[in-house]
Amino acid sequence: MTVKREKAERLADEELMPLIGEKDPEAFEVFYDRHGGVAYSLAYRIVGERAAAEDVTQEAFISIWRSGARFDRARGSVRSWMLSIVRNRAIDALRSRAGKAPKLAFDDDAILEQRPAEELTEEEAMRHETASEIRGALGELPGEQSKVIELAYFGGFSQSEISRMLGVPLGTVKGRMRLGLEKIRGRLAEGLA
Amino acid sequence: MSDHERWSEDVAAYMLGALEPEEAAALEHHAEGCERCRAEIRWLTPALDALPESVEREQPPAELRARLLAEVRADVGAGAAAGASRGAAKPGLAERASAWVRELGSGPMGLRPVAGVAVAVLVVAAVAGFAIGGGIGSDSSDKTSTLLYGEPPGVTAKMVSEGDSGTLHLANVKPLPSDRVLEAWVQRDGEVEAVEALFVPDREGRASTELPDMEGVEAVMVTTEPEGGSESPTSAPIVTIPIQ
Repeated sequence: MTVKREKAERLADEELMPLIGEKDPEAFEVFYDRHGGVAYSLAYRIVGERAAAEDVTQEAFISIWRSGARFDRARGSVRSWMLSIVRNRAIDALRSRAGKAPKLAFDDDAILEQRPAEELTEEEAMRHETASEIRGALGELPGEQSKVIELAYFGGFSQSEISRMLGVPLGTVKGRMRLGLEKIRGRLAEGLA
Repeated sequence: MSDHERWSEDVAAYMLGALEPEEAAALEHHAEGCERCRAEIRWLTPALDALPESVEREQPPAELRARLLAEVRADVGAGAAAGASRGAAKPGLAERASAWVRELGSGPMGLRPVAGVAVAVLVVAAVAGFAIGGGIGSDSSDKTSTLLYGEPPGVTAKMVSEGDSGTLHLANVKPLPSDRVLEAWVQRDGEVEAVEALFVPDREGRASTELPDMEGVEAVMVTTEPEGGSESPTSAPIVTIPIQ
């Protein structure tokens, strides 16, 4: 049994997941249209190549389609769960490509700015605004903190690897990661004011 | 330093995926019994969730969406076909499919029975240290064998067999319209049977499908079919791989 697209569009992500688990293509289509953009963007951010980002995104969404029923809402939002799947697959792809360094900078606003405003839905626009604010918050972190967070989250490096790469003690890496995340959390708690 | 403090140092690294797997497992084990660690993880979770949201938005290509939805619909079609075929009379399907093969055999595509016919096989190799001697898949004792068939720029196929099952990997498959899928068929005792496997090529023209029952299979064929698949082939095969 499938639901009409119009009905699926009115459902929250948490309500779509059981339908996807029952192999409802309309629910999956709505889910992809809702989150495909950020998923592809994250994959591209990590792997740095459009073709590889496409492959990562496709693999991630197909894995969700085939295991949608495994989503556990006790572990967070559907969007965060989906993005963690994309991130893990992108890191795997990155590691499998020897000699390819990840992109490592929170920079360039050009691409977003170039997009015509009328292409963005209101929800997308809000998310873009939020993304921009979050980027701003990350940009305000001391360089040594943002660097270890980038190397870990977007580069897939372990804290031991980062310690060796940067030539700093492991305890320092741990401390920078913690301070960085806590500062981001603090900014979020303040409403990114 | 207390037990909690020692583990607490690693909470951020854990959340960022920067612990080794065994370290992460140990921290999770500790956190199960440590409310303070769980509280820290809960507190920092929004910061972690913010990281992917911070990336510059890129527009995914429309082809990606088309491929994904085609694969999803192919899955749905395969499920429906499997359900239908469980209740259907198998011989009828085989007879219809075999009639199609005979029909094509006399047509311009020139599909002929493949058993015993000399074919162009580029490489026949055994994996995992086994050597295949002689013809195609002639070593029945090895556990895994790989058969490569076809020549670029045409469709090429890699058939990996293990026991009575196999996996078919295609390359150089042309892009399909969004309402078409690939469907695999096997020829057994001169009869063609649906594999009940629908699949689509990726952006680079690669496509793979499982072939769960390869016992007695003489040839594997792939056709393009309407989304949802067909009970019998409706087009000429894009590739025919002789197995025996």
